[in-house]
Amino acid sequence: MNTAELAMILGVTLAVVGSVGTLVIADLLRRVVALNIASGGVMVVLIALAYRVSPDEPDPVPQALVLTGIVIMVAVTGVALALVRRIEAHETAPGDDDREGET
Amino acid sequence: MSFGDAVDLVIGASVLVVAIVALTVRRRDTAVVLFLVFGVLLATLWARLAAPDIALAEAALGAGVTGALLMDTITSSRPREAASSRPWPKRILGWAGGAVAGGAVLVALVAAVRSLSEPQGSLAQSVDEDMGRTGVEHGITAVLLNFRSYDTLLEVAVLAVAALATVSFIQRQSPAPPEPWPGGPPLAVRGLARILTPILLVVAVWLLVAGTTRPGGAFQSGAVIAAVLILLHLGGWTHAVPQGRWRGWGLMVGLIAFIGVGGAGAVVGAGWLVLDPDWAGTIILALEAVLAVAIGIGLATIFVANRTDVRPGGDDT
Repeated sequence: MNTAELAMILGVTLAVVGSVGTLVIADLLRRVVALNIASGGVMVVLIALAYRVSPDEPDPVPQALVLTGIVIMVAVTGVALALVRRIEAHETAPGDDDREGET
Repeated sequence: MSFGDAVDLVIGASVLVVAIVALTVRRRDTAVVLFLVFGVLLATLWARLAAPDIALAEAALGAGVTGALLMDTITSSRPREAASSRPWPKRILGWAGGAVAGGAVLVALVAAVRSLSEPQGSLAQSVDEDMGRTGVEHGITAVLLNFRSYDTLLEVAVLAVAALATVSFIQRQSPAPPEPWPGGPPLAVRGLARILTPILLVVAVWLLVAGTTRPGGAFQSGAVIAAVLILLHLGGWTHAVPQGRWRGWGLMVGLIAFIGVGGAGAVVGAGWLVLDPDWAGTIILALEAVLAVAIGIGLATIFVANRTDVRPGGDDT
């Protein structure tokens, strides 16, 4: 089992563990962290695939995918955290809803 | 087993252990700090897997900007009690179900990984063969900015949309952009911003130009620019990150410029986003500069929008 295969197994494990965490964890912020860990695992798999082609000159196409993916993941985390703030602000002060007064 | 292999094993094992601990601790701040450690270890792993570009980007974006976003969310909300709101049996059931399902999926995926056939490398070969007419000498830059520049355009669009979404989720009590610190920025932060800004700007420009021949490029440069803008905003120069009227323009300038270059190619050149081999090097450098600024402004806007959120309970830090 060479380095690339080990790295792929690590990546797959991280992705599964992170995905399970995203679904099962109750706390919203820790869910966002779990999502980031899962995406890190997927990126490890892609990098390992690029490494597999040739360790000296890795395939640049999966690496380009991962690079784009990192930037998009940061943006998605930003949006997710804004949503987390909104949800928690609403939970601490539920009476601020505009439709207060429903029976 | 050589020393290099042993180091790889240790790094890989550490990544897994830190990830599992980060997922299972109860406190939020511990989870975030462990995630930062995870990001740095991941960057090291990628350097070992012959992906220095990705290591640079992960260290700056994954551990840096994401860490800043998470830390800001922790410090600006009331400390949450560690006690969960769900009853014990339901939580155990949730984790057990997740473990069983996850275990099954993991076994299937590992079997798939073990049964992969030998890599053909045809895509890498095509990139190698056509590198001469791309205008750059670095594989990833050629793929991102020349062969698949359409994907990069869409990535800029996604970033702009995400920044707009984040901005629209934030409620503020007064229309004027609030100060990042209620009592003025601390002396240490101001001094740090003063010292680091010129250094980081030089690093950003160097990374941008270096991307044509070695690891580097627009994404890493954009990450450093985002860090500079965030640092300036926290240091008290609140006009660094466009807010108010200019915010929309700041977000759109990268996208508009990118589309403009592609359209110019369609009108006077060989086609939409087709780069003429004579001009390719210059156009790629111009595109990368626009891209870096767009990424920097987009990420900094996301951070500032999150930071200017109304704190529940009036807890000002």
